[in-house]
Amino acid sequence: MGITFEFNGRRFEAAPNDTVASALYRAGVRIFSRSFKYHRPRGLLCLAGKCPNCLMNVDGQPNVRACTTVVRQGMRVRHQNAYPSLEHDLLSAVQHLDWLMPVGWYYKALTRPQVWHRVEPFIRQVAGLGVPPSAGLPSPDYEHVHMHVEVAVIGGGPAGLRAALELGRAGVQVLLIDDQPALGGHLRYQKNPSVPLVDLINSLHALASVKVIEGASCFGLYEGNLLGVLQPSPHSMAVERLVHVRVERIVVATGTYETPLVFPNNDLVGVMLSTAVQRLIRLHGIVPGKRAVIVAGGGRGQEVADDLRELGVTVVATVAPEAVMEAVGGRRIKGLRTREGNFECDLVVICGHRVPDAGLLAQAGARMDWDATRGAFVPVDLPPHVEAFGQVAGESLVATAPLPPPEPTFNKRAFICLCADVTSQDLRDAIGEGFDHIETLKRYTTATMGPCQGKMCQLNTIGICARETQRSMAATGMTTARPPNPSVTLGALAGARHHPIRRTPLHYCHGELGAVWMDMGDWKRPRYYQTPAPSTERHCVEGEYRAVRERVGLIDVGTLGKLDVQGRDCGALLDFVYSNRLSDLRPGRVRYSVLCDEAGIMLDDGTISRLADDHYFITTTTGNLDFVQQWLEWWLIGTGWDVHITNVTGLAAVNLAGPQARPVLGKLTDCDFSSKAFPYMSCRQVEVAGVPVLLLRIGFVGETGWEMHFPGEWGEYLWKKLLEAGKEFDIRPFGVEAQRLLRLEKRHVIVGVDTDALTNPLEADMSWVAKMDKPDFIGKAALARLRVREPQQKLVGFVMQGDTVPEDGAAILVHGKLAGRVTSVRYSPINHKAVGLAWVSAEAEKADDAIRVRVNGRLEAARITREAFYDPEGVRLRM
Amino acid sequence: MSFLLPCPHCGPRSVYEFRFGGEVKQRPSPDAPAEDWIRYTYTKANAAAVQREWWYHRSGCRRWLLALRNTVTNEILETNFPTDSPTNGEQYPK
Repeated sequence: MGITFEFNGRRFEAAPNDTVASALYRAGVRIFSRSFKYHRPRGLLCLAGKCPNCLMNVDGQPNVRACTTVVRQGMRVRHQNAYPSLEHDLLSAVQHLDWLMPVGWYYKALTRPQVWHRVEPFIRQVAGLGVPPSAGLPSPDYEHVHMHVEVAVIGGGPAGLRAALELGRAGVQVLLIDDQPALGGHLRYQKNPSVPLVDLINSLHALASVKVIEGASCFGLYEGNLLGVLQPSPHSMAVERLVHVRVERIVVATGTYETPLVFPNNDLVGVMLSTAVQRLIRLHGIVPGKRAVIVAGGGRGQEVADDLRELGVTVVATVAPEAVMEAVGGRRIKGLRTREGNFECDLVVICGHRVPDAGLLAQAGARMDWDATRGAFVPVDLPPHVEAFGQVAGESLVATAPLPPPEPTFNKRAFICLCADVTSQDLRDAIGEGFDHIETLKRYTTATMGPCQGKMCQLNTIGICARETQRSMAATGMTTARPPNPSVTLGALAGARHHPIRRTPLHYCHGELGAVWMDMGDWKRPRYYQTPAPSTERHCVEGEYRAVRERVGLIDVGTLGKLDVQGRDCGALLDFVYSNRLSDLRPGRVRYSVLCDEAGIMLDDGTISRLADDHYFITTTTGNLDFVQQWLEWWLIGTGWDVHITNVTGLAAVNLAGPQARPVLGKLTDCDFSSKAFPYMSCRQVEVAGVPVLLLRIGFVGETGWEMHFPGEWGEYLWKKLLEAGKEFDIRPFGVEAQRLLRLEKRHVIVGVDTDALTNPLEADMSWVAKMDKPDFIGKAALARLRVREPQQKLVGFVMQGDTVPEDGAAILVHGKLAGRVTSVRYSPINHKAVGLAWVSAEAEKADDAIRVRVNGRLEAARITREAFYDPEGVRLRM
Repeated sequence: MSFLLPCPHCGPRSVYEFRFGGEVKQRPSPDAPAEDWIRYTYTKANAAAVQREWWYHRSGCRRWLLALRNTVTNEILETNFPTDSPTNGEQYPK
């Protein structure tokens, strides 16, 4: 039973070792793609994964090279960029409009936005390559792997095999990377290989120190000897694997590849490189045509001619490259007109230029020198850790066709760049317009910038540039080589799609209570709890809000960063790093502070509790824990202070708040929670329901309440105990939305929401938090400078006058001029109006009730307030 | 950017494991003139040369270290941990 696959909905059979391209060619398919701009039919050209002619959609992935993709059972292959089919592409009518679209036409014709917007959809429809998979569809899996080896050998041809064998025998750890479906390079398809390939491969596999990755392309050599390697279908669970290979030394043995010659209609279907013809014959047992003409210089066509004759193909003639006038044909080649006569044929075999595949070497910093006898740019001056081996270094290379190439009889259809349909006429025009440097010529015409990244066209582009500017090949030079080459899919670069999720110790309790989740960095937090009776988010949030204001509520605050700071000199460090004074805090007391940088900008805020003389407990905002810990440790360096900082964020943390919080706690512990024994802004370590808990009496939400920190192992137990104890008071768990509303009514800022990367405490109306009488602290110098100036902008509270609720980020206008923006705004059930925080200019702040907020495109009146929207005296916190 | 940075504790590691902490600077004394503070706060030498820098080994030993790096070639000439209590009067300017 053969392997079957689908092409454009039809079933095809494949022989063992068939690639998509060889199986289709055997079945009679000749047109494999339509060109980028003119929709000209294109057939197999290189059969080595170097040219753009066989790009297809394979199993939903666009722009896959059919010629190096081995057929798998059930594969679904579709053509690209042709309508309705490759054979009959209506869009090929564009060819007849080529006079409208000379090189760079869009730079000249589409300069007016109105024109561009009208034309763009049409251009996008007609030009281009594959279509990206639609969003929302399940996409395949990609993975990343890291490898460390002593030497990477790139290229599995005779040179690479020899290098790997030699190193492997010396006991060196070697990774051999080859981009073809099987090892061997040109030994696989040459008639009389100098070395028996099987022997080489067998001895290689016998070596334990040599590891081989087949069918994988090395697309870049990066700083620090890092190689990027792309390996398609490493196993059934992944479509592609990106291998990061860190090496000590690199041996580049990538050999050469063949590139086309320049003559009119050189892109016709049936014009094929000699190596491609040999691959079809020897790797796949395919008879490539019936009547062939060979274009070759210096007797090079003999081998391929023998191969063809052996199969019964009539070799009509072998002509020299200079003699070719043009290829003739429509959807297929019909013949070749030459100075030695006109030949009818269905196959033109091009013995083209041999180009060292030296991209990696150029990336490594090698200079590419023109060598006229070899007819190639050859790498020289390699960096010490990189070697070139075999043909890529110029070994046994002989020039095959003249360079610069002779002027073709007709430039217009003599294609240079197959990726973007750039002809030799286009290059001449561009040079005529002044783009006569190889780098500017490349950018203006886009030659060498397509999917093949110049593999097929770079040498000819340089040749034409040299000829037209009457410079030598050497003086014209090559363009800069950059990774990635060959191209890499975005999916492979992105890698696996598993994002780390952080869960608090109470996570699964929330699920049982109907939590609707939100993401906060890596954390999952309940946004609100969906009530059993169906109701809107606003309704649920308001229910949670009322529970806290009127009775009691419980929220998981386990995502807060928590740092345990111990040592003799904690006070000195915290006084220096935080803006508030913390060394004089009595044990058992809590203080709020912000953290500024040297420019006085607020980086973070939190509470600092002193548990003992030499023991503090710090909370940070959810996203800033790592930063704050690193910041404290950094400032500690070199002080000689005795301070030890430990991240204890694994602790569970909840906040129990509301007028009935005290009786709820009273049911679970003997501790005296009266305001006299446990006043606002104090802390105690007590047992609650048998669990050792650090209780902080603080009031982010503006009610009597306790923030409780305790070991995560008892998280679920204590959470459930608290809800149980609160049952008689109709306790409600509340989520982030209700908490945000509650804190907003108290005008408590959230660093990073109401402040940004330029906010200082003075502008945020929090100058009290900076103790300027301390001898020194981070940001003091900046705050001292800022204090003597009037702030440019201020964070203010505002109340909407009407019933509308603006969105976070809404614009604020004063007398019709933009004067600020809203940072947080919510409907406040107590005020029966929307209330919020906003940044306004200093002038706008004085305007008081003249400010306008943009709501749904209309301007609505609002009033600036100086006080909190709820309990401005803070009575309820101290009850 | 993909060079290796030799951590004094963990050995040569991909630079992606580290957080860059900026070039080493001398923090002015609290009573230094405003110009010194402004220069320290807002300007960088941004030298195309070998410079001393702070790095933090985020995905490794989680320690701050000092590195001598050539900013042109990304060659690391030397790395070391700052000692906790400088005995030879050595200062670690920030």
